[in-house]
Amino acid sequence: MTTVERVSDFVEREPLVSKKTLVTVGRILLAVLLLLAWQWGAVAFGSIFFAYPVDVVKRLWELAASGEMFVDIGATMRVSCIGFVLGGVSGALLPFALRRSKRWTEAIEPYILGSQGIPKYALAPWLILWFGIGDTPKLVIVTLMVFYIPFVNVFAGIRGVDQRLVRMARIMGASETRISREVVWNSLLPFVFTSLKVSFPRAVSACIVGEFLVSTEGVGHYIEHARELSDTVGVFAGIVVATTLVLVINALVNSLERRALAWRPVDREMEI
Amino acid sequence: MNVPLLEIRKLAKRFPARQGREPPPWVIQDLSFSVREGEFLTIIGPSGAGKSTLLNMIAQIDVASSGEILFEGNKIGCADPKEMRPGLNRRIGYVTQDDNLLPWRTTIDNVLFPLEVQGRLDDKSRAHAETLIAAVGLKGYEKYYPHELSGGMRKRTTLIRTLVYDPPIILMDEPFGAVDAQTRMQLQEDLLRLWSLGRKTIVFVTHDITEAILLGDRTLVLSRQPARIQSEHAIPIPRPRSVKSFLTLPGFAELYERIRSEVL
Amino acid sequence: MARWRTHLDRAMVAIVILAIWQVAGMTLGVYWVSTPWLTISRFFVTLFNGELIRQSSYTVEEAFLGAVIGGVPAVVLPFVLRRSPVMVAILDPFMVGGYGAPKLALAPLFILWFGIGTESKIALVASVLFFIVYFSTLSGVRSLDTKLVQMAKLMGASEQQVARKIVFPLAVPHIFAGFRIGLPYAIGAAVIAELISSNRGLGYLVQVGAMNFDTTQCFVAILAATLIIHAVGYSVDAFEAILLRWRPPETAATGGN
Repeated sequence: MTTVERVSDFVEREPLVSKKTLVTVGRILLAVLLLLAWQWGAVAFGSIFFAYPVDVVKRLWELAASGEMFVDIGATMRVSCIGFVLGGVSGALLPFALRRSKRWTEAIEPYILGSQGIPKYALAPWLILWFGIGDTPKLVIVTLMVFYIPFVNVFAGIRGVDQRLVRMARIMGASETRISREVVWNSLLPFVFTSLKVSFPRAVSACIVGEFLVSTEGVGHYIEHARELSDTVGVFAGIVVATTLVLVINALVNSLERRALAWRPVDREMEI
Repeated sequence: MNVPLLEIRKLAKRFPARQGREPPPWVIQDLSFSVREGEFLTIIGPSGAGKSTLLNMIAQIDVASSGEILFEGNKIGCADPKEMRPGLNRRIGYVTQDDNLLPWRTTIDNVLFPLEVQGRLDDKSRAHAETLIAAVGLKGYEKYYPHELSGGMRKRTTLIRTLVYDPPIILMDEPFGAVDAQTRMQLQEDLLRLWSLGRKTIVFVTHDITEAILLGDRTLVLSRQPARIQSEHAIPIPRPRSVKSFLTLPGFAELYERIRSEVL
Repeated sequence: MARWRTHLDRAMVAIVILAIWQVAGMTLGVYWVSTPWLTISRFFVTLFNGELIRQSSYTVEEAFLGAVIGGVPAVVLPFVLRRSPVMVAILDPFMVGGYGAPKLALAPLFILWFGIGTESKIALVASVLFFIVYFSTLSGVRSLDTKLVQMAKLMGASEQQVARKIVFPLAVPHIFAGFRIGLPYAIGAAVIAELISSNRGLGYLVQVGAMNFDTTQCFVAILAATLIIHAVGYSVDAFEAILLRWRPPETAATGGN
C-alpha cells in the first residue's frame, strides 16, 4: 500500500501517419471517386444525361484550340467587369452621399432594402423588351446584383462608425467633410474592400446566369444553347468552364486581397 | 469509517513535453493530503499555482504524471487521457469558476440538467430540485433565462445544480471569485447553510485567506510552483458561523495573521 | 423624435415614385413600363381569381421542397462529421468549391436531366441551399464552448447526450442564419429556373407576359415574387426570435458565461 507507482509522463505519441498526409490522401481519393462516379453515371444513364468525361475533355480542347472558348469568356468578362464597376462604385458611394442628410436616408432606406428582395433575373424578359438581346439587359442585371452588396455593408458600416469616433472628431472641431473623408472613409475601408472582393465573382456568375436568359454570346449562352440542342457534352463542357472561371476569379481576388492588405493596416478580421 | 474519503499521495503533474523539446517544469510535485468524510476542507493558493490543475486531476478530467489518488479507498486515475472518466460516474461533483450554465435553459431546467442526463428525473428528484431552489432564495425565478439573472443568482443556480444529484464529494474552484464583495458574503452564507443541511464533503479552493478560514473545518496552504502542501491549519471556530461578522469570530484574527505571514 | 415626419417623408417618396411611374406609363405607352394602376389592379384581380395564388404556390412549393432536400443533409452532415476533423478537412476543398461555384449555372443541366417540370427546380434549389446551410451549420458545430461540454461530461453525460443537449442547441443560431439567407434565395432560384424553362410558376408568368408584350403581367409576377421573398424573410426572423428567446439582447450566442 505504501509503494508508489510511477505513472509514465504522458508524451504526445507520434502517430503512424501524420494528419496532413491522411487529409491529402483522402482528398485525392475523393476526387478520384467522384470522377469514377461520373464515368459510371455516363455508362449507367446514357450519354444523353451524362456526357463521358473523355468526350468533355475532347470538347474543351477543341473549344480552346479554336479560340471559341476565349471569345465567349471574353464576352462574359466584358459585361461582368463593366457591371462590377458600375454597381460597385454606386453601391459603395451612395451611403456616403446619403450620410449628408439623415432625413433623406430615413426616407428612402426602406425602399432600397425592400427592392433588394426583387429577383433581379426576373427583370430580364422585360429588359429584353426594352433593349433587345444584347449586352444591356445583362449589364443592368449584373449592376443591380453587384450594387446591393457594397451598399448594404457600407451603409451598415457607416451606422457603426457614426456614434463614437465622429462625436469625438466633432468635439475636436473637425469639419463635416473632414470627418467624412478621414474618420468615416478609413473606418469603412475594410467593409468596402471585403464587399467588392465578394461581389466580383458574384458579378461573373450573375452574368453567366443572365446569359441563359438573354444572349447570343458568352459562357452562359454556350451552356444554354447546348442544352437546347440536347448537346450534353456541350452542356458539361460549358459548366466546367463556367465553374472553373468563377473559382479561379475567387482565388485571384483572395490572393489580391492578401497582397493589398500587406502594406495597408486594414482589419483582417472583417469577413462577410 | 476510518478510511479517508479522498486521499492524495505524492501527486505530481507537469504538462506533456512537445515533440523533441525539454519537458516543462513541474506544476505540482510531492503533493499529499487526505479528506475525511463530511469535512469541509479549504485550500489556499495564489492564482495560477496549480489549484485548478489539482482539482482537475481529482475530478478525472486531467491525468496525473505520477502519484496516486484514492477515492473511497480505491485507486482512481489513469495514464491515458482518452480513458478518463470525468466526474467518476457522478461521484465527484465539480463547481467551476465560470457559471457554465446552459444559456438556452431556464433556471429550473438548468438545475434538472444533471438528473436528466443521468436518467434520474422523476417526481421525487423534481421536488428535491424545487426545495433547493427555494433554499437559495430563487423561488419565482424558475422560468428565467441565465441572461436575465444577476451574477449572484447564476452562482446559486450553479451551486444547487451540483447539489441536486448528491455526489459524495464536491470540488469547488474559487466559485465566488467573480462577484462583488456583498454578493460573495451572501453566497458564502448560502453555501454554509446548504452544507449544514447535508454535511457533504467539500474541497474548496481559493486565494482568499478570509474565505478559507470562514468556510472550512481545516485549511491547507499550497506553496508556489512546484506546488506542495506547505502547511495545515485546523480551524476550531465553532459552527454555525456568522459570515457577516467574521471579524468577531473567536480565534479568527490570530489564525488569519498566522496564515498571512506564511503566504505573503 | 419626429417619427411621424419620417413616415410622412416615406409616404411622400412613395407617392413621387408612383406618380413618375404613372406618368411615364401614360406617355411612353403601357407596353414599355405599364403603370402602377394597371399593375396593382391586375395584381388583385389575379389574386382574387386564384390564378396568382396557384402560380405562386408552384414556385413556393419548389423552393420549400428544394430547401428541405438540400437543407436537411446539410444540417445533419456537420454533426455526423463532428468527431472526425480529418473527414471535415478532406471534404473542405470540395465544399468550398461547391459553395463558390455558381450553382445557378447548373440550371440547364438539371433541366436536361429532369425536364422542364418541378423536379429540375427542386434540384436546383436543393443544390443552392445545401452549401449555404452546410457552412453555417459547420461553423455552429465548431463554435463549441468546450467548458460546457466538459461540465456536462462531469455530470455523467454520454457523447450522444452531449451532441443532443449541448452541441445542437449551440449550433441552432448558426443554422438559422444559414436558412435566413438561404430561404429567400431559394425562392429566387426557383424563379430563375422557371425563367429559363418552365410551364408553370411565377417565372413562367414573367416569360409568358414578355412573350405577349404584356408588361403588366411581368410586373405583377415580379411583385408577387418580391412579396413572397420578403414574407419568408420576416417569418424566419419571427420564428428565430421566438426560438432564441434565451439569447442575451446585444451579443450573439457564445454559450456559457
